[in-house]
Amino acid sequence: MKKTLKIYRLLLVQNIKTLMEYRIDFLTGALSFIIDQAVGIGFIFIIFSQIPQLAGFTLEQIVFIYGFSLIPKGLDHMFTDNLWSVGYFIVQKGDFDKYLTRPIDPLFHIIAEKFQIDAAGELIMGIALVCVSAGAANVVFTPLSVLFFIIAIIFASLIYTAIKIGTAALAFWIKVSGQITQVFYMTNEFAKYPTTIYSDFIRTVITYIVPFAFTGYYPCLYFLTGENPLFNIGGVVAVATILLLIALSIWKRGLKAYESAGS
Amino acid sequence: MRLGKIRKLYFPFTRASIQSTLMYSVNMIFFSLSELLYCFVMFYVWKAVFAASGGDDFMGFDMQDMFLYLFMTNVTAYLTMSQADSAIAEEIKDGSISMRLLKPVNFNLSVLFKDIANPMILFVMVFVPMTVCIEIYRGVTAGMVMFQPLNCLFYLLSGAVAYLISFYMNMSFGFLAFYVTNLWGMGILKKILLKFLSGAVIPLAFMPTVLKNILAFLPFASLSYTPVMIYIGKYSITEMLLNFGLQIFWLLMMFLLCKLIWKSAIKRLCVQGG
Repeated sequence: MKKTLKIYRLLLVQNIKTLMEYRIDFLTGALSFIIDQAVGIGFIFIIFSQIPQLAGFTLEQIVFIYGFSLIPKGLDHMFTDNLWSVGYFIVQKGDFDKYLTRPIDPLFHIIAEKFQIDAAGELIMGIALVCVSAGAANVVFTPLSVLFFIIAIIFASLIYTAIKIGTAALAFWIKVSGQITQVFYMTNEFAKYPTTIYSDFIRTVITYIVPFAFTGYYPCLYFLTGENPLFNIGGVVAVATILLLIALSIWKRGLKAYESAGS
Repeated sequence: MRLGKIRKLYFPFTRASIQSTLMYSVNMIFFSLSELLYCFVMFYVWKAVFAASGGDDFMGFDMQDMFLYLFMTNVTAYLTMSQADSAIAEEIKDGSISMRLLKPVNFNLSVLFKDIANPMILFVMVFVPMTVCIEIYRGVTAGMVMFQPLNCLFYLLSGAVAYLISFYMNMSFGFLAFYVTNLWGMGILKKILLKFLSGAVIPLAFMPTVLKNILAFLPFASLSYTPVMIYIGKYSITEMLLNFGLQIFWLLMMFLLCKLIWKSAIKRLCVQGG
């Protein structure tokens, strides 16, 4: 464990050095993610200029859900962004061999290799929105709810990571799986709004199949209403754990099935 | 230049590009699928908005208009998508631009005829099936045929101009690669700004008056807002002609801008190795 942490720290330092090389790129990247979310919030404000409530939620509550959903998304984006490269080109180009020859776990190596600072845009925006809206949205912070908040954020991030690991691993069989990851990943857009606005079919899909509803709406429902912590918070932990186990087993099988594509 | 000569010189660029793009058609289908998910989220958000407002009018749009706006904006984004910038930037970076410069063809035209394969393929693979689905849904919910052939025709005309604006805009952007080494971050920023400025996220009609008027005049509205509003039938004949005129104006401006940047940029070109 100590060795792993040391390796992670060394790789991180290397990463930050390369970031300094492309400083402008980093700034424009982070700025774009902030603008993107700001436009999303502008949209919510325009809607609420015409209506008092959306699906029974006030403006501040919707902003809280929206902001909350950005935090796990940003965390996963920051720490595991390299998983995209597995599905898009690492396996296809035959570059995956490199990871198999090192004396550390390939999955850990892939993840540790890239630290995506651009995600700071999403994280800053998400935290700011949660802080600004929490008061007016009647979120009560007790020691217990703060603990639940931290747990929910960590496990919600793992839902993202698990979906990326599971779909990236498909590349071991089909060489390129980036688009499949993309389709699954885009489903997270549904997490930003109350699931009650969707049809039953969509609600079932985002709760039980691609469970992004647990990265936004469900945990927020607990913080906003105090209702049903077993499902709303426990669900996040359960879903993330199950999903991660499935993803890791796909990854393991994939490693066995992997044949180098390079020459 | 005679038409026959254009055909002989430039059509091979289009043909080759169509062939290579079709190789990635599966990628494209997945890509459009994931973009479509966003439309569905917005569709349900709007449905909830209309349910909450009680009426069937939101700043001059009803649910049918909103549905059309969302999905047609998505389709239009495909039709007018130009990849000229990344293609150019790539050629400048790896030096293969010298091969293109050596050929006895007009530089911009050869890129255009290569790039135009995109909207051609997307027209068949995305526009036709999507519009059919949209119109079937519209017809079923309204209980009658809602399709307006004339609007659709004008939409395609306006969409073609939108594509050309997008092409010259992207060319100008791609030429930045002569000055900046890494266009990646700028590319994302451009994409996100365009999404907002062209009214793809929030229809311009909903924005505060001052902002709306400014954005409606800027070239970005010409990229998707104008054709989509024509398709929905939100414009009177006069408005349509005015906006179409504005599109032509911006096309000329972008064309000139592209020429101007090219003139000064080409002097800086320095290909290493090769």
